[in-house]
Amino acid sequence: MTLDAYVLIAGFMFCIGLYGVLTRRNAIGILVSVELMVNAANINLAAFAHFGRGIDGQVLVLFTTALTVAEVVVGLALVLLLFRRRKDILVDLANGLKG
Amino acid sequence: MTPSTLALLSLFVPLGAAVLLGLLGPLRRTGRPAAFVSVAGALVALAGAVAILAGGDAALKPGAHLVWGWLSAGPATAVGIHVDGTSAWMLLVVTLVATCVQIYSLGYLHDEPPAALGRYFTYQSLFLFAMNTLVLAPNLLQAFLGWELVGLVSYLLIGFYFRKPSAAKAAVKAFWVTKFADLGFLIGLVTLYAKTGAFEWTAVTPVAGFVTLMLFFAVMGKSAQFPLHIWLPDAMEGPTPVSALLHAATMVAAGVFLIVRAEPLFAQAPMTREIMAYVGGFTALFAACIAVVQTDIKKVLAYSTCSQLGYMVTALGAGDTFAGYFHLSTHAFFKALLFLGAGSLIHAVHSNELKDMGGLFKKMPFSGAVFIIGAVALAGVPPFAGFFSKDLILEAVEHHHLYVPLAALAIAAFLTAFYMTRTVMMALFGAPSHAAEHAHEPGIDMKLPLGVLALLAIVAGFGGSWLAGLTGHEYAFHFTLVGGAGTAIGLLGIATGFWMFGPAQGGAPIKRGMAPVGVFIRYGLMDRLSTVAYGLMLAVGAIIAWIDRYVIDGVMNWSGWILLVGGRRLRGLQTGNVQDYVYAVALGIVVLGAWGILR
Repeated sequence: MTLDAYVLIAGFMFCIGLYGVLTRRNAIGILVSVELMVNAANINLAAFAHFGRGIDGQVLVLFTTALTVAEVVVGLALVLLLFRRRKDILVDLANGLKG
Repeated sequence: MTPSTLALLSLFVPLGAAVLLGLLGPLRRTGRPAAFVSVAGALVALAGAVAILAGGDAALKPGAHLVWGWLSAGPATAVGIHVDGTSAWMLLVVTLVATCVQIYSLGYLHDEPPAALGRYFTYQSLFLFAMNTLVLAPNLLQAFLGWELVGLVSYLLIGFYFRKPSAAKAAVKAFWVTKFADLGFLIGLVTLYAKTGAFEWTAVTPVAGFVTLMLFFAVMGKSAQFPLHIWLPDAMEGPTPVSALLHAATMVAAGVFLIVRAEPLFAQAPMTREIMAYVGGFTALFAACIAVVQTDIKKVLAYSTCSQLGYMVTALGAGDTFAGYFHLSTHAFFKALLFLGAGSLIHAVHSNELKDMGGLFKKMPFSGAVFIIGAVALAGVPPFAGFFSKDLILEAVEHHHLYVPLAALAIAAFLTAFYMTRTVMMALFGAPSHAAEHAHEPGIDMKLPLGVLALLAIVAGFGGSWLAGLTGHEYAFHFTLVGGAGTAIGLLGIATGFWMFGPAQGGAPIKRGMAPVGVFIRYGLMDRLSTVAYGLMLAVGAIIAWIDRYVIDGVMNWSGWILLVGGRRLRGLQTGNVQDYVYAVALGIVVLGAWGILR
């Protein structure tokens, strides 16, 4: 497979993730979509590392994976708090910061 | 010590006394000890003023000028002291009268509670500082500071009996009217600064006419010239020594002093001077008319003060600065004497009304005698102090061909002699009233200042040529036709007063034929004209208030309204929906990408 294929797949995944973030009402669905976007970026990093020189990209992938774990933990904690307070996790109804 | 050091001493020792009494509440509330602190401060200030003059006029001729930078706006905004003949003599007059008044107050306010007495003397010390700030001012900016400070102290002292509604009202009225006039001072200062970049009274500028006109407007308020005289009679609500110091001898003369000080500016404005001559002449006549029908001894003296200030302003309007300044000095002595003498009579009978007095000369020969000395000095009888200065003013006005003001002054001279005779006859001679039966002389603390001032009222007139030399003018007394006529008119006034109110009438005034005149003066001049003057002031105030409310406040309110409405519109962008924000981010990326590619 060529580098173009990897980048295309990654771009495709990123768009799916973005679409999910913008359209899902369910907070967990949004988190899953965010994971898709992050992993699209990871695929890019790994592909560039493979076709380019050095292991910089692979090191960065490890970093982002660790970061994503932390992000998911915080995100799920927020979702839990939201559920406790509102008995649902529909983000379009949680608009308390409306100006 | 140099004149500058002595002047600083005279300036700051009273301030020290005021701060000490102001900050140390327990000391202030002790009453008499607090009073002694204040009197000591005044004595030091007086000693400083005497020492400056005793040092000879060699040091005063060039004038000691000592200034410090004040605001960061530059050298124009300096404060300091300027000691020359004019300010040194004025400093002596102010500190001398203030010392006399403070010592007199020890006896006069003996029955006041200690806390009130302490408050009174705190204000007295503050007044001395404020007045000296004005007198020693090196430029018009500091003069303005002193000007406003004496206005404040005047308000505080008129309202000394603040539990009395009429006193509180009079204090507010005095503050309003003088503050209204002070607008003129401020406008004048701003104009002067805009044109010359400084606040010097020696400035040569094409706008001198406007600046001096504005300054004269402030003088009309402070020195009680028609139509802004309306606050002065009400100011008599204050204790009598306050009336003597502030509202007769020194503070009201500050306006005259300002014109003397700013002589170089006024010399460039013949138009302003002409207006001054007419306003002063009218005030002299108008106030003298009203004084004739007053029944309250302090009101007689208050209108008399208005009238005499009118004399000074007319003299300055005629361009003879020295005549105005000389009359300011002699008037300070004999009018303070009259007020303190009246205070002594009031103290004895516990009433301001002339009808409650009568026959007091027998009971109080000393107070009666000094009051008569003050009265003849005011009436312009030779060789008392008022004779010389009034003579000089009439001569100066005649010399400059200002015949209408001259006629007004001549009639006022007659009326002055007349109403003083009337007052003396009604208060000191004739049948004693019930209250006057038990009158007795005051103590030594009140007699001493009366004696000093009486001496000055007799001899001050002879110091004319010395004072002229000190302030750089030429003056030697010589007999002139107009001066002699003025004196004759004064003696005629005394004779008329004697005829109408003298022993032949048993103290009862002649009513025949004079009643309509009294009614005209009382209702026509006093009530109607004063109401019109007050109404005019309120109307101008209303216009300024309208501009403030709808133009200045309007701009502020309008800009606030713009922000409010704009904010209300823009808050719609904050939907609170997290996905809308992500949309904005995504859109931002697209725009940035497009910009990056198409750039």
